[in-house]
Amino acid sequence: MELALTGLITYLESRQQGSRFCHGAGSEYYLHIGENAIGEATGWLAGRQGMSLIAMWAARKMKKAGTDLFYAFNLKPSARILIVVVDLKSGRVPSIYKNFPVAVYFERRVSDAFGLEFDDSPDRRRLFLHEAYPPDFHPMLESCTGQPSQCVDAEPGSGYVFKKFEGEGIYEVPVGPVHAGVIEPGHFRFSVMGETIFNLEVRLGYKHRGLNKLAEGKTGGESMKFAEAVSGDESAANACCFAMTVEKIAGVQPSRRTWELRTLLLEMERIYSHLGDLAGMLVDVAWPMGASPFFILREEILRWNDVLTGSRFLKGFVKPGGLRGDIEPGKLVDLKRYLPSFARSLEWALSGVEESAWVIDRFETTGIVKPELLAPLSLSGPTARASGDDADIRRSHPYGIYGELRFEVPVKTGGDVLARFRVKAEEIKASVRIINEVIVTISDGPVWLECLPGSGQAVSVVEAARGRNLHWLRFESGRIEHWEVITASFCNWLAIEHAVIGNIVPDFPVINKSFNLSYAGNDL
Amino acid sequence: MLEIIKTILGKKPAPGIVVPDCEIEKLGLRLRAQVSTVFGRSLAIREMDSGSDNSAEIEINNLSTPHYDIERFGISFVASPRHADVIMITGPVTRNLKTAVLKTFEAMPRPGWVIAVGDDACDGGIFSQSYAVLGGADKVLPVDFKIPGNPPTPLEIMRGLVTFTAAIKKQG
Repeated sequence: MELALTGLITYLESRQQGSRFCHGAGSEYYLHIGENAIGEATGWLAGRQGMSLIAMWAARKMKKAGTDLFYAFNLKPSARILIVVVDLKSGRVPSIYKNFPVAVYFERRVSDAFGLEFDDSPDRRRLFLHEAYPPDFHPMLESCTGQPSQCVDAEPGSGYVFKKFEGEGIYEVPVGPVHAGVIEPGHFRFSVMGETIFNLEVRLGYKHRGLNKLAEGKTGGESMKFAEAVSGDESAANACCFAMTVEKIAGVQPSRRTWELRTLLLEMERIYSHLGDLAGMLVDVAWPMGASPFFILREEILRWNDVLTGSRFLKGFVKPGGLRGDIEPGKLVDLKRYLPSFARSLEWALSGVEESAWVIDRFETTGIVKPELLAPLSLSGPTARASGDDADIRRSHPYGIYGELRFEVPVKTGGDVLARFRVKAEEIKASVRIINEVIVTISDGPVWLECLPGSGQAVSVVEAARGRNLHWLRFESGRIEHWEVITASFCNWLAIEHAVIGNIVPDFPVINKSFNLSYAGNDL
Repeated sequence: MLEIIKTILGKKPAPGIVVPDCEIEKLGLRLRAQVSTVFGRSLAIREMDSGSDNSAEIEINNLSTPHYDIERFGISFVASPRHADVIMITGPVTRNLKTAVLKTFEAMPRPGWVIAVGDDACDGGIFSQSYAVLGGADKVLPVDFKIPGNPPTPLEIMRGLVTFTAAIKKQG
């Protein structure tokens, strides 16, 4: 057991707080504590170096009435995750935002789903349930079986109070939910003075589709389509993470070839996702010509995805226990043959950007994410790596064959649009090398093993293109009792609110694009 | 001076972009012809995401990238529904977006049409049983045409647009 964990248990004992420890089906630890130990346990954890709250959720108890509350912590430098489980009695819980600021956001989410109250939370507004839902509607409660009893026809925004800034020359710019471009819906409320933004409030949840409720009572295989729909451009990452969680509960270790091919898909996804971001950043500084080569390369990768899996977005290929089909060796050879020309075109396109002073001028010092925000807001992925954090789940919590692969994790320290551009560009190159290595060393074997989960729970994390995606599943007799998914976008959206401060409104699109977070993956 | 000559004679910024897709060209020319006759040379589309998983938006965006470059066939994606002939709706309609969807539709001048793109927009797809979703686009808007797929590829969307414009032509 980790030292930090032993320390926490001893500390709780010294405070006359009982705790019960158990191992999870994966490599996670569960520490069960009582409701009144939350403050002390989280206070103690906040005092540890590098401890961050990566997720928080609630779930109904197995086979009993009542609710469990889960706090997931990154147990640095270990590859394990500590999940503190609170057995809820009263339905009122202390907010832990003073120790972990990002908790406010998670608590609003849990509040919506279960109707729990978090005492002294500074923000109790509803999050993903907007005005259209009656106030007493909490979809994840057992009593809630279908549609809201009444549909409220309130004017959107009528029941939601944005932070108000007043003073001479200060005005608000409301944007969305429907935006001018072909992008997803969300609302941005800028408070502006002259041209300079001094506050931004992002309101999301518009695309809330009730995904985790849909998976209740289904089998792992049946629910793959929901995992893939979390965010269309993260289908492979979420499918692999979901399948991996089911496999842990079933005690199945997929074949090596399965994980080699999954790795290939995961890296193909990272490549096309980042290519779109690079192109988008250039479009948003009014240089579509510079963006074109990135768009061309992305289209080529999407077509390769289609050749390999039959889907340009790698959908429908991963399933619990393995894959739905094998990829013919000939196709892999062809892909390997294509990679050098891809790498050359990429270099050429990137040099065009690096040699364009006006592009660098727009990117540099724009939209800075300060490193001191990383831990409090639980930021991850390229967002964190562009601000000096070298965290990468593929390396810190290796899954599949990542533990055996050698690959670079690019880190920049500027925290600005330029740093995110360069991190993403270098990650594409690293992914190309990973794919190359996987193809060269690929092994033979089955691509599917029978996977029949009984009862149990497990957590998995993967490094998706946008950062850390977490899936947690609780199975009861082969059926899903609760599925929780928290994508990197959920926390990373908070970074944008900070990054835009002091920038001008016309720079918002390029700042937003440099993160390119998923609205669907946030709203679920 | 030397620099200028070098720039003129030197490597061009877009070497060897080969777009070997005869089908895109063929479809595009048909689309071009139909748009010219039915819509007076240009068809303006406003895309509206009502709760998709974002892959349909990516494919619609791809229509404007170099391989497809649909604008040369008379199709443009516009920033406001007030400039649009067509609203392309993707995803099932979520409860949270119902009002925004209706307002967007009402802002479109008439005559105007609605095209549902993707399985979820066509009939609610995998989300039809959810508490958070009202169903396919036709639960909220009068949908004139559906392009199914998870998501439909850019080519499938182009094929859909050819069929759509032909159908409008028939209606007169």
